[in-house]
Amino acid sequence: MVVEKVLEVKDLYISFHTFAGEVKAIRGVSFDLRKGETLAIVGESGSGKSVTTKSIMRLLPEHNSEIKSGQILFEGKDLTKLTDKQMQKIRGKDISMIFQDPMTSLNPTMKIGSQIMEPLIKHQKLSKAAARERAIELLKLVGIPKPEIRVDQYPHQFSGGMRQRVVIAIALACNPKVLIADEPTTALDVTIQAQILELMKDLQRKIDTSIIFITHDLGVVANVADRVAVMYGGKIVEIGTADEIFYNPQHPYTWGLISSMPDMETNDEELYSIPGTPPDLLDPPKGDAFAPRNPYVMKIDLEQEPPFFKVSDTHYAATWLLHPDAPKVEPPEAVKRRRNQFVGVKGGK
Amino acid sequence: MGERKKLLEIRNLKQYFNVGKPNEVRAVDNVSFDIYKGEVLGLVGESGCGKSTTGRTIIRLYDATGGEVLYDGVNVHGKKTKKELKQFNRKMQMIFQDPYASLNPRLKIADVIAEGIDIHGLAKSKEDRMNKVYELLETVGLNREHANRYPHEFSGGQRQRIGIARALAVDPEFIIADEPISALDVSIQAQVVNLMKKLQKEKGLTYLFIAHDLSMVKYISDRIGVMYFGKMVELAPAEELYRNPLHPYTQSLLSAIPVPDPISERTRKRKTYNPADHNYEENEPVEFREVTPGHFVLCSEKEFRKYQSQSK
Amino acid sequence: MINKENVIIKDMFQPAHIDPSKSEKIAKPSLNFWQDAWLRVRKNKGAVTSMIILAIIIIMAFVGPMLTPYDFDHQNTKHNNLPPRIQGLENIHWLPFDGTLTRRNGTEYNAYEARNIDAYYWFGTDSLGRDIFARVWKGTQISLLIAFLAAVIDMIIGVAYGAISGYIGGRVDSVMQRIIEVLVGIPNLIIVVLMILVLKPGIIPIVIALTITGWTSMARVVRAQVLKFKNQEFVLASKTLGASDTSIVFKHMIPNMFGVIIINTMFSIPNAIFFEAFLSFIGLGLQEPFASLGTLVDDGFKSMIAFPYQMIIPSIMIALIMVCFNLVADGLRDALDPKMRD
Repeated sequence: MVVEKVLEVKDLYISFHTFAGEVKAIRGVSFDLRKGETLAIVGESGSGKSVTTKSIMRLLPEHNSEIKSGQILFEGKDLTKLTDKQMQKIRGKDISMIFQDPMTSLNPTMKIGSQIMEPLIKHQKLSKAAARERAIELLKLVGIPKPEIRVDQYPHQFSGGMRQRVVIAIALACNPKVLIADEPTTALDVTIQAQILELMKDLQRKIDTSIIFITHDLGVVANVADRVAVMYGGKIVEIGTADEIFYNPQHPYTWGLISSMPDMETNDEELYSIPGTPPDLLDPPKGDAFAPRNPYVMKIDLEQEPPFFKVSDTHYAATWLLHPDAPKVEPPEAVKRRRNQFVGVKGGK
Repeated sequence: MGERKKLLEIRNLKQYFNVGKPNEVRAVDNVSFDIYKGEVLGLVGESGCGKSTTGRTIIRLYDATGGEVLYDGVNVHGKKTKKELKQFNRKMQMIFQDPYASLNPRLKIADVIAEGIDIHGLAKSKEDRMNKVYELLETVGLNREHANRYPHEFSGGQRQRIGIARALAVDPEFIIADEPISALDVSIQAQVVNLMKKLQKEKGLTYLFIAHDLSMVKYISDRIGVMYFGKMVELAPAEELYRNPLHPYTQSLLSAIPVPDPISERTRKRKTYNPADHNYEENEPVEFREVTPGHFVLCSEKEFRKYQSQSK
Repeated sequence: MINKENVIIKDMFQPAHIDPSKSEKIAKPSLNFWQDAWLRVRKNKGAVTSMIILAIIIIMAFVGPMLTPYDFDHQNTKHNNLPPRIQGLENIHWLPFDGTLTRRNGTEYNAYEARNIDAYYWFGTDSLGRDIFARVWKGTQISLLIAFLAAVIDMIIGVAYGAISGYIGGRVDSVMQRIIEVLVGIPNLIIVVLMILVLKPGIIPIVIALTITGWTSMARVVRAQVLKFKNQEFVLASKTLGASDTSIVFKHMIPNMFGVIIINTMFSIPNAIFFEAFLSFIGLGLQEPFASLGTLVDDGFKSMIAFPYQMIIPSIMIALIMVCFNLVADGLRDALDPKMRD
């Protein structure tokens, strides 16, 4: 099974120069994005998930951020080497982005239609009339009723969910090959969130784009993702298919994440919680960044950073627990229950 | 159920903003429910449904437009002397949503936590005050050394725990938690929820837990109320609400929550809610009725009979 | 994929012990608001340089007049209109301190030698033979005094008015805001001119004239801040704890506004200096023999062609003070503005 890679990030290191010193926000991130798939990146705030994707779009603040090393390969070109002009041609055309807050990602003084037409006229060199046609078509595509009327309205005449639909329409205007969605549903209510997720999945099937979906909500991940990358402390600690991550996680941080969310079956038992707080990337700890919060910590965790261990062809995890010399440990109850449940479902088929 | 003591009775509570103007907002519209001593009542709903306003009106941050809030049989609203107010302030406390906005950035943690102690004169001496602060810090899992630091040095989860310590400083019986975990990371949410549960057991607290994350609410609450556009549409024991949601809005809300389980996510069907589907006739009385013991639904007479036959 | 550079010994897979209490430790040193702000200001070179210059000017405003043997109000008509001459620097020809003047036909002569005076007036003398060096520092002293007084009074009235207006809200707020609008609506200059005419020129009348409308901008800024803080959760939390209104305003609101208040005051000082100078220049300033920078410029202006130094020196002083205060205020705004925090 040879799958075409659309985007490849190789060994990326990014630092921010702040007042207090150098913050090593991304410390060696590598992943690839395949054609037509949805890759979800999960992690808590400060884990580097947004920084990674912003660096792909070159949206990091120029005055204090720096890509220390690494490559971002898109169709064979290294995006980190392009000039700003070349980058502008890619942005919005081949790679586009949806942001968290639909209230601020639209220009309040411009008509919805003009905002959708902008990239069409710029990148696809459409005439004004043709661009307008296409804008109406796009609004219809994202499920906005009466698009002929709506196209001439202003953002304040739309509700939050409708605005996010417009934002998606703008992002999809030029049929991008890669769509980066940075917490697109976090600011929305659950019922609206469900609609937007449904819409995104539906559109992906129609126009065959690849999506990088950033979120901290594991429920959303389970809903949209084909593959999942878990980030912690500026690194990917585990990457695999959605089933592998949810039903057979290997990294103790993933265990913690999954079992700290109650599901409908959790009742009186205490929730599993990851103790402590995320690492300070101003001064990342030696060895495994997760070690201070890891209940299964070993001496080696405090000395050396764990490499990726292969669990299956698609599943890798960076924890010393997978080293052949490591002691066998029992994951938390909730993770074990999931494993059994999964085996039960698969076995029953 | 009759033996359990009612701590709080909310009767026909109304909170309107901009009364009499064209942009009148009925944030809370005729809501009635009870909170029993020692229970956790979850309040869920989408943003703007009035759940936070309900909490804030109960604790008198807003003056109610109508209705009463009875605490131990005494009305919280209406004219009060300073002394009576202070007594309420000690019994009822609140935990806020935004861990960054809920602590005064210019005060040291010790002074943040000790504010209630100072206002109510609960410490005999400076030393006593600091000892109380240290004790509270340890109760919420922080160290003594943190007392001399400023809020901006703490992470979101730590700040939320400081907010809890501040509320606990006056030994309240009842705590309103207004979306206490929605601004926190998943791994930190569990810490805070565990802490709240532990405190409830140790101190016999009663909570009104307001949130939009239903799985957490289900986990922590004994009973759950669902709000929609200023009205309470359904109120039932947590388990019952999940197994047998009656109001179509509750059903759509439950079907919309994503669960961290790819297999069930792939197969789930979503329901949408359209208020017009009720097809209420004009002037048809729509009331909050008890369908099965403890399970209340906002419905018309017709729907009531339908729900009752469904639940049998 | 296993890293080969590091040697892995079996023993390293033993469980390690981590002190759980350590996980909540904060490694960074504790900085309070002012320490943090100072660290930021320090990075701004313009602001730091301006602060040093301002410090020197303020010290000189008090020490300066004592450094010369001449009093600021001592008249010596024999020594009138002498150009600047400084010991040691007089021999460096391209510096303007050699005591030479230019005749109308363009030739230069040494005024001191021509009039046979053996004295050194560092900044020269005016038409009445008073020492400009002493007068400039004395004038700076008075100008700064007026400006500081005006700024402090603006601050006190503005903060109180704004806080009351914003905190009480409702009808009180509406009435108080209308009063401000009326005050702002009347042209400033007219009020000031009328005030001075009624009160007779002097330090106190000028300060009153400056503050009578000057506090409105501070009041507006403070009111906006109070409105913002009123719904902040830490204020709500304090209310639910039963805090009184005064303690909410003084403990929770005003300390959080220090930054804005200081910045506003810092910007109002140079404005006051400029306005005072303007008043003096149109003849409504201090009366002889007292001097402010404004009256000095006004005096010098009368003989600007023949003796340019009489106007240039106080003008440079005004410009320097204004630029420095603005740069410091700018630096403080960057340092204190919470939105700039990362």
